[in-house]
Amino acid sequence: MTATAVDSDARTVGAERGRPAHLPGELSMWVFVLGDLAIFGIYFIIFMFSRLQQHDVFLASQRHLSQGLGALNTLLLLTSSRLVARAALAARGGEHERAARLTLGGGACGVVFIAVKALEWSAKIRQGYTLPVNDFFAYYYVLTGVHVLHVVLGLIILGIVVRELRTPSLRRLSIVESGAIFWHLVDLLWIVIFVLLYVMR
Amino acid sequence: MTQTAAARIDYVWAILCAVTALSWWLGHRSAGVTAPVTIGVLALGLLKVRLIIQHFMEVEAAPTWLRRSTDGWLVVFWGTVLTLYLI
Repeated sequence: MTATAVDSDARTVGAERGRPAHLPGELSMWVFVLGDLAIFGIYFIIFMFSRLQQHDVFLASQRHLSQGLGALNTLLLLTSSRLVARAALAARGGEHERAARLTLGGGACGVVFIAVKALEWSAKIRQGYTLPVNDFFAYYYVLTGVHVLHVVLGLIILGIVVRELRTPSLRRLSIVESGAIFWHLVDLLWIVIFVLLYVMR
Repeated sequence: MTQTAAARIDYVWAILCAVTALSWWLGHRSAGVTAPVTIGVLALGLLKVRLIIQHFMEVEAAPTWLRRSTDGWLVVFWGTVLTLYLI
């Protein structure tokens, strides 16, 4: 019974994947993405080790973070990812101006993300929760800071994508796809930060 | 074809937003019961990250080596986080 269900599932998936495998974007972007996942993975695991050793300090400090602002920022990046994913589709379909506008919309969400983050940091600093207060806040500023650098780099990449989309002689679908993949990586890393630093008790 | 792909992106986005609201609510409401809620939040985090990799980064249609390396990362990373949480 179960085996039959699995078989028919496998067939459905096979049918959907009827087209040949396609590597979206450029190979060099994937090398970077996989490397960044490994490096951030190690950062996060070191954070979990410290959390294990200083459980009470980490839990008490975490209560001072604004979960509401963290959730708002998650929704902003998810929405920007949706716009950028739709932009890659539009570019594939030859709708270059539409793709450029969708990419700009995605970038605008990224700019609002940075503004919210700046607001959150300044509130924490005003309340006296600065980087040297304890290990939790050190991780908080370093992890969210390195992530914001990724957002800034992502915005520059999206800017290059828009420029290429609007210049017929420069247009390359692989650059549009690579830019989108980097932007989704920024989104993905934020989701892990939100879970580990803000939500898990 | 493109229309279907666009609809799927919107659909995945709606799920991701709903899951974000759910994990925020779980984290917000659960002053008492911690471990089961946190395990739930970690599971939802894994789900969100995989949805982004598969559907936004389009790894579901990518060559096998890329599908295996991203899934391998997910298993090793979230497995380690869960282990460090539980010990």
